[in-house]
Amino acid sequence: MALHLPKSSSRLIWGATGLVVIAGASLYALWPEQRLQAEDGTFVRDGEAGFVVTAFAYAVGPDANEATCPLGMSKNVAEIYGESPAGQRKPGEDDEAYSKRLDAGGQEISNAPDGRNFCMHPQIAPVDRFARTLTSSRALADGLNLDGKISRSKADAKSGRLDFSSGDGSKGIDNQFWRAVGCNHSFQSNGLSNGFGSEMYTGAWGILITLSGIDDLKNDDHVQIGIYANADPMQISPAREALGYATYAMDQDESYRAVSTGRIKDGVLTTDPVDIRLRKVTNALYLDRVLKDARVQATLSPDGVLKGYLAGYSPVENIYDLQFGFRNATIDTGELAPLGRRLGTSNGAARVLGHTCQGIWQSLHRLADGHADPKTGAFTSISTQYTFEAIPAFIVDVDTRKANKLATAGGMK
Amino acid sequence: MSNTASAKTPGLRAIQRVRAAVVQYRRPLILVSVLLAILLLVAGLISQSSEPEPVGGPLMLRRLTEEQYRNSIADIFDAQVPIVGRFERPFRAEGLISVGTGKSGMSPFAIEQYDASAQSIAAHVLGPKGRAQFVKCGPENPEQFDEACARSFLSKTGRLLFRRPLTKAETASYVARARSSAKQLGNFYSGLELSLYTMLVAPEFLFRIERTSPDFNGTTGVLDAYSKASRISFFLTNSTPDDALLQAAAAGDLDSDSGVRKQVDRLMQTPRYEDALRAFFADMLHFDTFADLSKDPEIYPAYNSEIAQEAQEQTLRTIIEHVMTKQSDYRDLFTTRDTFLTRSLGTIYRTPVPERDEWMPATFAKDANRAGIQSHVSFLALHSHPGRTSPTLRGFGMRQVFLCQDVPDPPATVNFTAIEADAQKANVTARDRIAMHASEPSCAGCHKVMDPLGLAMENYDGLGTFRTRENGALIDTNGSLDGRNFSTPDGLAKALHDHPETPRCVSERLYKSAVGRDIVWKERYYLDWLIKGFADDGYRIPDLMRRIATSKNFFAITQAANANTARITTDGGIS
Repeated sequence: MALHLPKSSSRLIWGATGLVVIAGASLYALWPEQRLQAEDGTFVRDGEAGFVVTAFAYAVGPDANEATCPLGMSKNVAEIYGESPAGQRKPGEDDEAYSKRLDAGGQEISNAPDGRNFCMHPQIAPVDRFARTLTSSRALADGLNLDGKISRSKADAKSGRLDFSSGDGSKGIDNQFWRAVGCNHSFQSNGLSNGFGSEMYTGAWGILITLSGIDDLKNDDHVQIGIYANADPMQISPAREALGYATYAMDQDESYRAVSTGRIKDGVLTTDPVDIRLRKVTNALYLDRVLKDARVQATLSPDGVLKGYLAGYSPVENIYDLQFGFRNATIDTGELAPLGRRLGTSNGAARVLGHTCQGIWQSLHRLADGHADPKTGAFTSISTQYTFEAIPAFIVDVDTRKANKLATAGGMK
Repeated sequence: MSNTASAKTPGLRAIQRVRAAVVQYRRPLILVSVLLAILLLVAGLISQSSEPEPVGGPLMLRRLTEEQYRNSIADIFDAQVPIVGRFERPFRAEGLISVGTGKSGMSPFAIEQYDASAQSIAAHVLGPKGRAQFVKCGPENPEQFDEACARSFLSKTGRLLFRRPLTKAETASYVARARSSAKQLGNFYSGLELSLYTMLVAPEFLFRIERTSPDFNGTTGVLDAYSKASRISFFLTNSTPDDALLQAAAAGDLDSDSGVRKQVDRLMQTPRYEDALRAFFADMLHFDTFADLSKDPEIYPAYNSEIAQEAQEQTLRTIIEHVMTKQSDYRDLFTTRDTFLTRSLGTIYRTPVPERDEWMPATFAKDANRAGIQSHVSFLALHSHPGRTSPTLRGFGMRQVFLCQDVPDPPATVNFTAIEADAQKANVTARDRIAMHASEPSCAGCHKVMDPLGLAMENYDGLGTFRTRENGALIDTNGSLDGRNFSTPDGLAKALHDHPETPRCVSERLYKSAVGRDIVWKERYYLDWLIKGFADDGYRIPDLMRRIATSKNFFAITQAANANTARITTDGGIS
């Protein structure tokens, strides 16, 4: 039914509409221009400080030696094939031909009889007899005591869940990931696996930290810490060094934000456990770095350099994917990456870095020490420690992901 | 009612008496008011026309700057037309490149580069795509020469490139060249291309050649209409005169004050007016010297070519917003906290800038230790050494750039080693290092006018980041400017704002930039008139530019009686 208004009402409506339009336009014209308030000062302003992580690596111990890895180092599939009778060098076979044959043989033993690749399906693989772990009780490692215990009993030694001591005499260090990889060539000091600098500095991913409620940089019994994935590329100098006091936006996906509490005692910041999720990109494959019950222990220098450990428990399946398997890696849109790229990356890495996918998967599970499955009692996570260094930065909560658009639906959730 | 009347106060009674008087003397009062209004109007008109007798200066021959060349090509053809040549380093005179353009020569390198640019422009304009856009006629068969089309294209384009109509002889010459080339090359457009190329390397395009009006008596007179058009256009748009301005020149409109005012007002409303302002201030602030600026990456890791560009852009955006958008007092540029920032600049100013890849309008907080464009990175970094600050360079820069004061060059025997040796020494500040300036007689004379000004800026490092200590020692920022002492950025800002030379300097620079030469002795009254007008107008730069562009002196020509200057006539001849 059509609505008929009296002429006077119609005029009233038109008049009111006109007034609203004029008022709106006036308000728009007179509205004060939005200007950024530019400040200056030290890295702590109004009790808040921000940091961008500029160095990030696994916390490990001294390089392996005959005492700590008495059975030698882990082998890759080509080396394993080379141990077999079929893998022996044939008379007159030159280096190039032999190397090709070893690679082919290695590829052959990387798959199940049904063709499924062991990097994608490590659970169906036979036990890798050539995988080596750092089981020596004399091995050292850096890091934190996560569970408050010092596990050094014979039973602990037998299970492989033996806490480390560090070079400075600290005890009870839970760093089972180092036990799992400590006899791998690529995790030694000159290896390729223990560092993420190049990808972090090209802007593929990054980590931001905020501290708030700071009353005293030396002793403060209550501060808040935020750990976020960085949505912006790192700002660097021509010499490729990170610049201090740059602005970065935290990831807009809430799952890449973690907040916890902590305290500063004698200049050392210690935070309470919180689950965190960060981003990692390797070979254009996007993955999540998950750390359960993660905590920070770090010192804060007068000029704002935060340096210490980020430690917690990595879900075994997550850290296998993150570092070795790439099974669930996505592309930047969040879609599962092409199988060929995932296969190539995981198998290629295993070949170059000196391990097998199934071997490392088995070691990670065997040495896992956290988050026992309530039904089976099996541990599902492995203690993992990172060293980090961070410098002052401004952390803002705005959506600025233009150039390095990352998947919001990608990665493991 | 009577009660009310009887209760009137003495004040009300006085008002009533005045009202009665007004009624009684209404007619005479109206007459007096009208007369007063007429008087005020006449006084105003007299005041407006109280420009001193025009003096002017010599005719100028000025080479186009890089921006003027690029703007001209973009305006005549299209912004997409490629200019492949590089431009020679500009020459600065009287503190301005725009004055240096009238004094610099042309190297063989520059000629090679002009040649390359001319070839690329002509090839684009008359290439298969360009000709559809730029040539509105043409033969059906390109192998045929279309005389009428060639004449039309070359005379129209030549008028815009030479900033005046081509003479008959010139048109005939360019058409003949196009014809003979087309014949040899077998293509009409190839012939036109060669003629266009010839125009683009002609002095008539590369130089602004000024001419006098026909009634010039040999010593005094005014510019001819097309030279007036060029002066107005390059001053207010930093580009070549557009078609409307050339038409106004042809119609004789620029011979009248109202005609000039109309064109000036029109051009100041075009987008190119901002370009002109930017070009002037970039010139005044010596931004061309950023090309030579280097910083030690170990000491100033944030510095790179991108930051250098953004630092200049920050200051230019600040200036444009202040003087053009807000039409604010020029002197407030030295106290304003309003600016624009990017994330990269935020690392130097140590302030968060939320938006990435965008300029954000910003206002420095009162305690952010910034006030005025002299506290911008563009000034602080430019007037510092590669690895440390220089109170002397900064003091010199402020005197030279903002106050138009000259300081003599240092003696050839000056010994810098003492300063360099202590650059990184613990607990040694710049004030300690340059203490010898005061004790050494050969240094003291000049340094006492530069150092106290620069020492007040020692809270900014060699890139412009605020600091309170140098080599561990607390920095003493006490300084002075011509008897005024201060120790904070705000104090320095106020001193520059209030300095009488501040508005005088920008007035002088603007006029010199407009005419391309130094001020002649007799023009000092004109300059006083400009500065008084600038003050009366609230120190608004657009008003000052309008005053210059509409003044008679702007177009006046005075040649020395014995000047050995050839007079180039509009028909291409030399008399």
